[in-house]
Amino acid sequence: MSALARNNVNVHGNPDGRPMMFAHGFGCDQNMWRYVWPAFEDDFRIVLFDHVGAGGSDARAFDRNRYSSLRGYADDVVEISRELDLSDTVFVGHSVSAMIGVLAATTQPERYGSLVLIGPSPRYIDDGEYLGGFSEEDIAGLLDSMDSNFLGWSSAMAPVIMGNEDRPELGEELTNSFCRSDPEIAKQFARVTFMSDNREDLAAVRTPSLVLQCSDDPIAPESVGRYVARCLPESRYVQLGATGHCPNLSAPQETIAAIRAFVDP
Amino acid sequence: MTHDDPRLEETAEELFEDAPCGYLTCGADGTILRVNRTFEHWTGHDRALLVGTRFRDLLAPAGRIYHETHYLPLLQMQGAVRAIALDIVRADGTRLAALINSVQQRDEAGQPRIVRTTIFDATDRRAYERELLRARRHQQEIAQLLERGLLSGQPPSSADLCVEVFYRAAHGGHEVGGDWHDAFWLDDEQTAGVVVGDVVGRGIEAAATMGQLRSAIRALASTGLAPGALLDALDGFAARHRVGRMTTVAYAQLDVTTGELLYACAGHPPPVLLTPGEPPRFLWDGRSVPLDSVALDAPRPQGATQIARGGTLLLYTDGLVERRAQSLDVGLEHLLDEAARHAGEAVAAMLTSVVRAMDDDHSDDLCLLAAHRIV
Repeated sequence: MSALARNNVNVHGNPDGRPMMFAHGFGCDQNMWRYVWPAFEDDFRIVLFDHVGAGGSDARAFDRNRYSSLRGYADDVVEISRELDLSDTVFVGHSVSAMIGVLAATTQPERYGSLVLIGPSPRYIDDGEYLGGFSEEDIAGLLDSMDSNFLGWSSAMAPVIMGNEDRPELGEELTNSFCRSDPEIAKQFARVTFMSDNREDLAAVRTPSLVLQCSDDPIAPESVGRYVARCLPESRYVQLGATGHCPNLSAPQETIAAIRAFVDP
Repeated sequence: MTHDDPRLEETAEELFEDAPCGYLTCGADGTILRVNRTFEHWTGHDRALLVGTRFRDLLAPAGRIYHETHYLPLLQMQGAVRAIALDIVRADGTRLAALINSVQQRDEAGQPRIVRTTIFDATDRRAYERELLRARRHQQEIAQLLERGLLSGQPPSSADLCVEVFYRAAHGGHEVGGDWHDAFWLDDEQTAGVVVGDVVGRGIEAAATMGQLRSAIRALASTGLAPGALLDALDGFAARHRVGRMTTVAYAQLDVTTGELLYACAGHPPPVLLTPGEPPRFLWDGRSVPLDSVALDAPRPQGATQIARGGTLLLYTDGLVERRAQSLDVGLEHLLDEAARHAGEAVAAMLTSVVRAMDDDHSDDLCLLAAHRIV
């Protein structure tokens, strides 16, 4: 199966421009970037996609073994880059996709020219002196609570949504469509994300990186963002005024400005 | 009812304060601006303490993650969310299982101004939900145990024979598939029986059916029945005991010393025979209808051939070759090409290479068995 189909890849912007690939994090889909990517469409070739299980991706491609670690997701990113023949890409990764980008950039460094890491965390669970912000009980509680949230997804509705590209209004009528995901897949993604430990992968990154840290981010606190910036061999750390974990939605202008300053100095 | 019906005298204030649900108004940044009496009662928090704190601080840590990664993005993108389940921590530390609806009010510039939220006590619902989920999980576990039992056991191997299998249930394997494989010695490591089959349906009923057919085949094989006769007897079993109607099966018996190969297929795709130095070919003899499908007026046929030393017999299920909007012949051609391309690899590697090359979309179960006669 082509990665472009599997991951619902959408390409916009300037076909001759430098590629800029946006990767959404745990929770929703490529719609998370709707307020950010248009600012770059004149100068860059914009690549948007959904992780397998999210958004319009082909959930039938979900394989428990492949996606039992973030590597599987990173391999998908590399496949997309290969199918589109991208090089010198600006990879913009939010949340767990920041680390997915780190893994992709260490696998095929020649394809990635810059990394923008928004709210990154290489490990969420506290470990001795490293404070990821969560205990194991907290994460167990998250996985447990995910059973109660199906966000309007059901095995009966999924084929309706998937098979109706010619009736997009169907998708819009359905509640919570932007964060809809097969609950089993969502739960595995949550487990893999929040139990990941990719601290050791940071030192291998040769790509210049920008860490965008939000104030008061309950998922990726400041100390973690600073840790990431410290461990990356070539990085810049920028503190945003935006609060919360999703500045791409809550403070798009500030996010755009920070990315632009990094790629267009 | 007239306008001086006293029941119409309730004020907006009363409607708000004593509503049968909790009401919460927050600023765009999540700061609580107003709550109603019902919310105070349900949570034990006094409004004086609530106003000015953040909604997210009322949630347990797990809920805070979900709030940040799902609730807020949805609210921002849709302007509203419906039926999000979150636990609110009460003043006494216990949790209120809540279902939350929120709607965002925006100003003329389209900027979010306030968020209005209703909170429903979902304690009983949540408990019932958990029961249902537990029952579903339990059923899945039973089916998986059955499946493991059916697909387990060391395949026969010796200095002359190597059997490798590949199995993948459809859609990430949440439900037990309808395909099975089996391989066993018929005697002292001279003759082996190998099977691949596909029952109608999936899940726990399919697992039970497969179990019965698997045992029946083993029992019948141990009485010395050759493949064609074995399938006839299996037909009788399926009909008499109403088990496995329309199942497709490929059964083969190979003598590892002489290389004699006998085989029969009940409605099943044709096995592939790999011979060193020759192109792979399909074994088209020994074909008949699926199990217990129509009354047969002649014994089921069987095919006979030789498997060379270094040769491999490949059995598989239709998930490997059948594609929507593509004729079966195309899939079969493709399989032969890929088998040829990977014939030189070690047996287990050959199976995974072929599966990857056939590039299916995971919508069907996949089961392959390779019986290799060692040089």
